[in-house]
Amino acid sequence: MAITIRRLEEFDGTNGFDCGDEPLNNYLSKHAWINQQKSSIGVTYIAADEAAPRSVLGYFTLATSGIPRDRLPKKHVRGLPPYDLPLILLARLAVDKRFAGRGLGRVLLAEAFSIALRVAGEVGCRCIVTDAYRDMVSWYAKFGFIPIEGGSDAGHQKMFLDIRTIRAAIGTDSAFN
Amino acid sequence: MTLTAKSNPRPAARKIRKSKFQADLAPAEDTMVRALKAELQLTSNSDFLSDALTLFRWAVSERKRGHRIVSESATGERKILVFPRLERVAPELDLPHVEMDWTDCEIESLFELSQRQPAEPTEALIRAMRR
Repeated sequence: MAITIRRLEEFDGTNGFDCGDEPLNNYLSKHAWINQQKSSIGVTYIAADEAAPRSVLGYFTLATSGIPRDRLPKKHVRGLPPYDLPLILLARLAVDKRFAGRGLGRVLLAEAFSIALRVAGEVGCRCIVTDAYRDMVSWYAKFGFIPIEGGSDAGHQKMFLDIRTIRAAIGTDSAFN
Repeated sequence: MTLTAKSNPRPAARKIRKSKFQADLAPAEDTMVRALKAELQLTSNSDFLSDALTLFRWAVSERKRGHRIVSESATGERKILVFPRLERVAPELDLPHVEMDWTDCEIESLFELSQRQPAEPTEALIRAMRR
């Protein structure tokens, strides 16, 4: 099986996707294309088998976000440039049940990181954040995501990964060379 | 496939040196090349490669500018070319911006994390990124 990862297109078969989580299925089938094409609030990338290129095996959604400077802790912002803190948001990541446990999630995550590196290289960005299901926190932690403390959502955990850590993983960050 | 090109060490006597491009093709690819050469009325592999290169270079430059490559039928039906290697050069600058809900404690924690020295990559991250 040869897998390709590409942007979601209008006629991709999103209705057949089932990762076992209704909100994630529902997002892909009902919202991902509209959010990407019309509302511009997230870009979705899908994994597809070259032999059945419209069938979605897994997907992730990326967007940019930021923390307004006026919400940053006052005691720390003195001396910093007067900008918001820019982030890349890994908003969704899911793998169809039929392909769970085969490493596709890792492949999707690596592709999301590659895109994040390109974005960060072009527009400047310090980190990737995700809002993980609590039972997926250890999976994200394996790849270096660190829990962000102080959340109020019992079902989700925001997590942080420094862009420089990803650069170091591919050997392009001089801080580690 | 091998590509060999050597530079001339003597600038005074510089000549345009042609590179030699050698490719091992599977039988099906060889058949495809022959068929395309016949269709395009190309007689040499050099001309074939030159035309293919021109087309490929154009496709890369279009995707680099963020343009999509579309074919349109006589009835107006459109197909968009999605070619994984080309997608690698396409700009990703149009990631949209979204607002997130943050508690003050989360912002404090995030800010503190962002000011730290970056963590060293985990083995899983290194393996994933160097696959």
